Amino acid sequence: MSFPLSDIITGILSTTLTLSPFYIFAGMGEIVSEQAGVANMGLEGIMLMSLMSTFVVDYMTGNPWIALLAAMGVAAVIGAFFAFTAIRLRVDQIASGLAIYLIGLGLSFVIFNTVYPSGLTPNYIPIQPLVTNWNTIPYVGPIFLKQDVITYTSLVLVVVTAFFLTRTSLGLRVRAVGENPKAADNMGVNVNKVRFLATLFAALTFGVAGFYFAGHFVPGFQTDVIAGRGFIVLAMVYFANWKPYRALFAALSFNLVYAMQNEYVSLSGFGVASVSTLFNMLPYVFLLALIPVFGRKARAPKFLLKPYRKG
Amino acid sequence: MRRHYSDGALRWRHADRKHGSSVQLSTSSSVKGACDTQGLRWLRTTAYNVLAIGLGILAGLLVVVYAGGNLGVALSSLFLNPITLSGGVQQIFVRFILFYTMGLGVGLALKAGLWNIGAQGQLLIGMVMVFVVYTFLAFLPWPVLYVAMILGAALGGLLWIAVPTILRVRFGANEIVVTILLNVVAINFAFYMLSGPIKSSGTALGFPHSVELPALFQIPNIVSGVPITYAVPATIALGVILYLVVERTPFRVKADTVGESHETAKYAGISIPRVMTITMLAAGALAGLAGATYLMGYRYELDIGSFSTNYGLVAIICALVGRKHMLGIGFASFFFAYMTIGAESMALSANVTTYVVFAMEGIMMLGILLGNYLTERKFAV
Repeated sequence: MSFPLSDIITGILSTTLTLSPFYIFAGMGEIVSEQAGVANMGLEGIMLMSLMSTFVVDYMTGNPWIALLAAMGVAAVIGAFFAFTAIRLRVDQIASGLAIYLIGLGLSFVIFNTVYPSGLTPNYIPIQPLVTNWNTIPYVGPIFLKQDVITYTSLVLVVVTAFFLTRTSLGLRVRAVGENPKAADNMGVNVNKVRFLATLFAALTFGVAGFYFAGHFVPGFQTDVIAGRGFIVLAMVYFANWKPYRALFAALSFNLVYAMQNEYVSLSGFGVASVSTLFNMLPYVFLLALIPVFGRKARAPKFLLKPYRKG
Repeated sequence: MRRHYSDGALRWRHADRKHGSSVQLSTSSSVKGACDTQGLRWLRTTAYNVLAIGLGILAGLLVVVYAGGNLGVALSSLFLNPITLSGGVQQIFVRFILFYTMGLGVGLALKAGLWNIGAQGQLLIGMVMVFVVYTFLAFLPWPVLYVAMILGAALGGLLWIAVPTILRVRFGANEIVVTILLNVVAINFAFYMLSGPIKSSGTALGFPHSVELPALFQIPNIVSGVPITYAVPATIALGVILYLVVERTPFRVKADTVGESHETAKYAGISIPRVMTITMLAAGALAGLAGATYLMGYRYELDIGSFSTNYGLVAIICALVGRKHMLGIGFASFFFAYMTIGAESMALSANVTTYVVFAMEGIMMLGILLGNYLTERKFAV
């Protein structure tokens, strides 16, 4: 059996673009939130809850759009709660984020297990691609047209986020409260309100990311199904130096490395995951290797992780 | 609310002055606090902690009752099963050793303001190293190999955390991000080792696993028949030694100062890289060591069942609940060991997934953090 090179390349690029929106959505949210001074370490917990809601609502209604709304709603509730503890009560953000992660990790499966005790579920109904006959167009079809509307939205979101943070007055306020909340306060900015909004926006993007995870990453819900991919977003934001376009680059290149090793492993047929697991490490090692290159110049928002008390 | 600009400028200077003096204030207030309000403060903290733990347990009970479980059975499983059930006591001490050894490391790094989220990864590498040493240094005579396996595990954890340490100290890279990344790498690496170099050639059935350690390489029980190994007193001794070395020497002040403010530490002439390196490396070595005591004292073989646990996170909770105090972490670890066994048994009694325990732990952690906030607010000057 031979594999034409063009097919392999198309496959790799297609996988890259299919997997990236998860990281892009969550990355944009985390960037805005961290620029405002609030790091949400509980993002994977929020994603797990959204993913669980996605599956449950999709199974029950058969409509992925209602599932998306449910995912975003659940994420917003948890995000608002996290924002309340981190901003209003000034609880340590890392510790409360980890607590939110643990709650999400446990609760998501407990709820899923209560709704579907036998584990038997209907089929997941995904969002259909915009172009249904994408298969007829070579190259462009499988790479670009196969994707659903969330993928395109994620690319638009990068542009919007970059524009928002640098060109709009609310965006400048977001950066101001993360960089120097005292000065922002003196300028008349309601620091904690801006922070709350930024954190809420982040939670909504985590909700979309959790929704997107269904169908594109896994066919059904299991325990700990996101398996640390949510935390990877934190690393990407860090390497991106809190800049949207660089985060897009980080997400695409991470997934490109992932797709390449994935394709290589499946083509070479290592059999039972022995050497293949070494290749599975590659995307993460790739990110690690970026640290001395990009991480050196990384400069976090000055008041990241630091709660603000008025007066 | 908008303020006039010139007023704002004035406030700025005022705020600056306040900020500058806050360093001195905090040191003097802690001395004053030691005299009068310390007891009351401790009482309040304890009360809030108990309340938080109660909330977590309540949440677990709610889930169990909702799933149709019997409340009486749930309560007795939660509180009594850990000691009455066969193997319960052993489980408590196995978890206690894990949580305490890893929690000591996490707490030590936290003192210097560093978050070791990667204790789980270091634990895994420690476990892998036990079998790497056992397999590849098998020519060593018994007592030497025995010690080498334990030290190898600690060394593995140390080397694993050396990466974030170097990146942090040399490049200023965020240790949270790097330790998280290395957790994923550790799982893949351990899986590779397990399916190749340290794989048992015996049974090919099912998932890959290592050979089982022969009795000679197991940590023996203190009293035969009672499943409490020598690892228990050894771990407690380790905690006491660390307490003496860390809490009772100037090192505590150094670490605390680095954790509090790098500016102050620099001003006080404390070598920040040195403190960071020592605490981080010790944290990794301790987490690796936990892997050795877990495998050699309880599990005896490595399989993928050990991979997807979340002991590293529980160790972080123990370190926080124990308020980063080397002995306090011990009490917190024992409590969480008991609680997790009880909660798992409770979940099983009502046919609920044991994942409910994670939710309970999260609620407890959040409650304890909120309790700290309420205490601080009450005693804030």
